[in-house]
Amino acid sequence: MDTLRVRDAKDVEEVVRAAIANEQPLEIIGHGSKRSIGHAMATNAVLDVSALNAITAYEPNELIVTLQAGAPLADVLSLIDAKNQQFAFEPMNTAPLLGTPALGTIGGMIAAGLAGPRRIRAGGARDHLLGAHAVSGFGDSFKTGGKVVKNVTGYDLCKLLAGSWGTLSVMTEVTLKVMPKPEAERTLLQRGLDDAAANKAMTAALGSPFDVSGAAHLPKSAFRTRTEGLGDIAGQGEALTVLRLEGITASAAHRAGSLRELLAPFGTATLVEDVASAALWAAIRDVLPFAASGALGAWPVWRIVCPPASGAALGTLLARETGGDVIYDWGGGLIWAALPPKSDAHAPAVRERTNAVGGHATLIRAAEDIRRGVDVFHPQAVGIVALSERVRASFDPKTILNRGRLTRGATA
Amino acid sequence: MAIMMPASDQAVLARRAEIVAALRAIVPGEGVIDSAAEMRAYESDGLTAYRQPPMVVVLPDTTEQVSLVLKYCAGRGIKVVPRGSGTSLSGGALPLEDGVLLGLGKFKRIREIDFDNRAVVTEPGVTNLAISQAVAHAGFYYAPDPSSQIACSIGGNVAENSGGVHCLKYGMTTNNVLGCEIVLMSGEILRIGGKSAENTGYDLMGVITGSEGLLGVITEITVRILQKPETARALMVGFAQVEAAGECVARIIGAGIIPGGMEMMDKPAIHAAEAFVHAGYPLDVEALLIIELDGPRIEVDELITRVETIANACGSTTCQISTSEAERNLFWAGRKAAFPAVGRISPDYLCMDGTIPRGALPKALARIRELSEKYQLGCANVFHAGDGNLHPLILYDANKPGEIERAEAFGADILRACVEFGGVLTGEHGVGIEKRDLMPEMFSEIDLNQQQRLKCAFDAQGLLNPGKVFPTLHRCAELGRMHVHAGKLAFPDIPRF
Repeated sequence: MDTLRVRDAKDVEEVVRAAIANEQPLEIIGHGSKRSIGHAMATNAVLDVSALNAITAYEPNELIVTLQAGAPLADVLSLIDAKNQQFAFEPMNTAPLLGTPALGTIGGMIAAGLAGPRRIRAGGARDHLLGAHAVSGFGDSFKTGGKVVKNVTGYDLCKLLAGSWGTLSVMTEVTLKVMPKPEAERTLLQRGLDDAAANKAMTAALGSPFDVSGAAHLPKSAFRTRTEGLGDIAGQGEALTVLRLEGITASAAHRAGSLRELLAPFGTATLVEDVASAALWAAIRDVLPFAASGALGAWPVWRIVCPPASGAALGTLLARETGGDVIYDWGGGLIWAALPPKSDAHAPAVRERTNAVGGHATLIRAAEDIRRGVDVFHPQAVGIVALSERVRASFDPKTILNRGRLTRGATA
Repeated sequence: MAIMMPASDQAVLARRAEIVAALRAIVPGEGVIDSAAEMRAYESDGLTAYRQPPMVVVLPDTTEQVSLVLKYCAGRGIKVVPRGSGTSLSGGALPLEDGVLLGLGKFKRIREIDFDNRAVVTEPGVTNLAISQAVAHAGFYYAPDPSSQIACSIGGNVAENSGGVHCLKYGMTTNNVLGCEIVLMSGEILRIGGKSAENTGYDLMGVITGSEGLLGVITEITVRILQKPETARALMVGFAQVEAAGECVARIIGAGIIPGGMEMMDKPAIHAAEAFVHAGYPLDVEALLIIELDGPRIEVDELITRVETIANACGSTTCQISTSEAERNLFWAGRKAAFPAVGRISPDYLCMDGTIPRGALPKALARIRELSEKYQLGCANVFHAGDGNLHPLILYDANKPGEIERAEAFGADILRACVEFGGVLTGEHGVGIEKRDLMPEMFSEIDLNQQQRLKCAFDAQGLLNPGKVFPTLHRCAELGRMHVHAGKLAFPDIPRF
């Protein structure tokens, strides 16, 4: 194993050019916190961007921050927090779920594109990446986008980089949009709903004018073991449906009251505020009930995205068929499923049921031997696969970057 | 025409009758238009300074017909220009002499309204406003609201990644679309995304949005709809200096307030608008801000007070707060009519569309004033101030020799200044032909080559809307070539672990 620790964009260019000349694929890493997501890469050479870690510019009044790709996410979050700003898409911290120590880098955050509960209101990483400098698989530095929110100059290559798992280019510097943190948050807790009723309650809430910024459901199985952030509000171990309202204090409180009335047919809701509410949503964002250190730590975990109103039916069916546990976010549009250990991680059932509602499922956590036999990323239609391959080749014709990460069975 | 378009293919033009007949076999009846008189309606879009009748117009009404038309053209090397409602302000739908103009005007049906998933599935020819109207009875709307929303098509919105007054808070088209059906130049029909919040694999929807009709022809779109805010109120604030207005914008954002809309007009724009709609705009101010806050009543009332305090602290000379819907609409009437209002005071005008960092606003305005002197042409400025998107309206008279050229040079200098100040060439109108030759101001050859390689992944022959966006056309084979380095390169001497 050869690890090349680049110091600047020029180094990245040189490494990639040498890799092209030597036909040597490269694995691109920052902190390596999400290395276990995807297929084993067909290479033993590592391009490590963690030393590209400068905070280039933070302009709170422009609502932007420009960072090198290896900047530690934790540092950046504290930097913008000090100015009362945040990444509105609530990037997930995968460390508890995957059982890794580090929080990861900005580059990893974008390349994985794993957004948290506020995805339903604020969009994902792709919606907050304004511009990027990157080195393509041609070994050339290029830029795309800019430093302003409103920009339609040329193709929006930022969208492709976000969620590309490092297969298109090595990002070296990015500009991200930041947003003011809300003054207050209020979360309504509705206890004892089954998945179907909870889905209906979330649909009603998200179809209301009360600007709900989080809608999640934790079936009672989520409370079998004590989970940080959920412990104090777990109550009698009943299912918990939670709806978040954020904004200026008077408004959040007022909307919580209006929403409580709207949801009265589902039962009486209670309220948690600010710190307790934030801890609860962090637990949901990071899927703590399925943490690697918890009771289900050895179970494979799927991340299923589907039309939100189909969530409960899909989740209930999968839980019943496999004997697994599920939790719901995004009003039902995101299902985290921890399924009992099995050599194929229940992939055929998960994929068949997910396809039936027009969703897609990613195997986020599974041992490497399981990932060898299962497509980690959701198989797509033939035409989309072919187009995606042409898109990939337009950035990296020799498949130098993260070869094999997205597709099972790719060899060096 | 100042802009050079790709040379016409004489062999294609020579086969025009055969091509028309073949298209008629695919799209029967009135769906193929080949008479010079009828084609005149298609010879330009919203950028009316440029006109070019197409070789033939085809108006299919099914995805299969679109696919067959494209496949036919791809097989014979015939260029195709897609068109929605033809409201592009950058010439994105300007026809080619030797090209088929593919109009999507017959795709006018909303296919499905799904309130539970907060999504609408629509054909591309449906107007932006019609989507909001179709869901209004349940309190929903489609958030992006370009000022042409009564006429512009949702397909065109996706192609251009259209914005609007409210995109400061609610995002542009790209933040509000979920999926599409697209036909590639080869005729292949693909479905991307659906009603889920995000797609798997590469974000093809994301890169198709804003691709200006160069990557494929969209035949169906799934958009996200939102519940309408409970209420909206607006402040109309006047300032004796533009700098103070700019400072006010910065402080509002700095205070963590994201208004639904935050617009600025300078003195010439204020005067033109007031003379046209009599909205009661103050005429003795240098800059006017219209700031709209939307949401629950209790929040709006509170934020109105906060914004008023900020405006006072920035030295506002007038401040009116709407107390009724009628009054709010009146505040907006002048801003919304700013373009036609300017059209009344000048025989012709060019509408520019650059974006700058908010903080550069006073600097940019000063530069525009200098350029106005230099080129001896008037300029009225309206801005989406909240997101730094400038719309300078350059006043000229096309009948006076040399004025259009001067106006275009003035506009190009404004856009160069936008890039110089850390901004971009276009915020929402698109590159099209209008800003095509300015692309090197913002992008290097390597940057542009990467974009054009992406184009090759969708359209290897370069037949779909050629001559738009990119100043120089390259063959895909040439773009795909790797630099071959002599001998084997060693990995550089950098730290290893």
